[in-house]
Amino acid sequence: MLRRSSIGSVAIAVALGAAMAGARAHDEAKYPDWKGQWVRMGGIQWDPSKPLGRAELAPLTPEYQAIFEAGLASQAAGGQGNDPTYTCIPPGMPRAMTVVYPMEIVVMPETTYIMIEYANQLRRIYTDGRDWPEALEPSFAGYSIGKWEDEDQDGRYDALLIETRGMKGPRTFDASGIPLHKDNQTIVKERIYLDKANPNILHAEVTTTDNALTRPWTVIKNYRRERKPIWFEYVCAEGNHHVAIGKENYYISQDGYLMPTRKNQPAPDLKYFNQARQ
Amino acid sequence: MKRHLAEQLLTLALVAAGGPALAHHSFAMFDQDNPTELEGLVVEFKFTNPHTFILLQVKQKEGEPTTWNLEGGSPSALVRDGWSSKTIKPGDELKMTIWPLRSGAPGGAWNVNQINFRDGRPVVDRAKND
Repeated sequence: MLRRSSIGSVAIAVALGAAMAGARAHDEAKYPDWKGQWVRMGGIQWDPSKPLGRAELAPLTPEYQAIFEAGLASQAAGGQGNDPTYTCIPPGMPRAMTVVYPMEIVVMPETTYIMIEYANQLRRIYTDGRDWPEALEPSFAGYSIGKWEDEDQDGRYDALLIETRGMKGPRTFDASGIPLHKDNQTIVKERIYLDKANPNILHAEVTTTDNALTRPWTVIKNYRRERKPIWFEYVCAEGNHHVAIGKENYYISQDGYLMPTRKNQPAPDLKYFNQARQ
Repeated sequence: MKRHLAEQLLTLALVAAGGPALAHHSFAMFDQDNPTELEGLVVEFKFTNPHTFILLQVKQKEGEPTTWNLEGGSPSALVRDGWSSKTIKPGDELKMTIWPLRSGAPGGAWNVNQINFRDGRPVVDRAKND
């Protein structure tokens, strides 16, 4: 009796194991090989085919072009302009896909994870066929739904199509401060695929629709594969010495004092400190 | 060779973007038109994101030495350039070109191409990393 039960258990275990291995092999054959580390090719500007800033020719509405210009003027005067990331706010979408420091993509049947070292950004791309949730709590990375495409119909997926909504601000496209609309109604559509000629290059075609723009803005990001990656932990709060107080940005010295960042910068208002009243 | 080219391209990108830690914030607060040479003694090397810091004690013509707060590239960038948290140690003597804070406070920014030991040795031997 005992013996028969044991044989039965072994048989079930073997059958299960075979089934699982089969399923795994099946899945791996179905999805593209995006293993390894993906390193940004080109600079940190949103459109890598153009120089950072005005030359990117962002199709901004007149209102948001004026906001962009004001940010550039602030930077020219020594300020931080529109870019919120100096206080460790993460870039969010779509800027995360600039991949300042490298990314890893983990493809699972129901979710693809995009893990970006810069600012520890994690994106979850749901590919389980779900619809948009009724209530979408805004986040910097947004909520992403993906769909795999077998474009050449060879039985293996070639491209991941992603739509991302539900972002929160403040966000800009890049460090020059190209703004996104304050209403945060941004929709980002991406097509991620391996280069046809070189499987060690990945492309992301990113189209942003936003009320700060006069039309959808498409750029192509490129990444090269590193098979022997170095990974590093990025905790922005650890060593950030830039601080925004009111409308000014200051610098905290290593010995704990506030430093001015521009000539004749006023000290912050200390109205809640007793000494200020003396 | 490929890696060397990649590094050169990265360096070009850094120069083009105008700063060692280009991604995290605008470098306009640092006066890039007036680079300043500093020689001094390392008090501390902080290998932290989003920026590394060198605290450098610099002798003045008169009075007490001043400790400069010198912001460098992100460890995420430096680690791929052969640096580690032990590359610079307290007591090391450095010679570096920095961009000073526009405000005149003793702070500034540096990048990996503008830093050597005081005797002229490179801080990281880039040739060895190729």
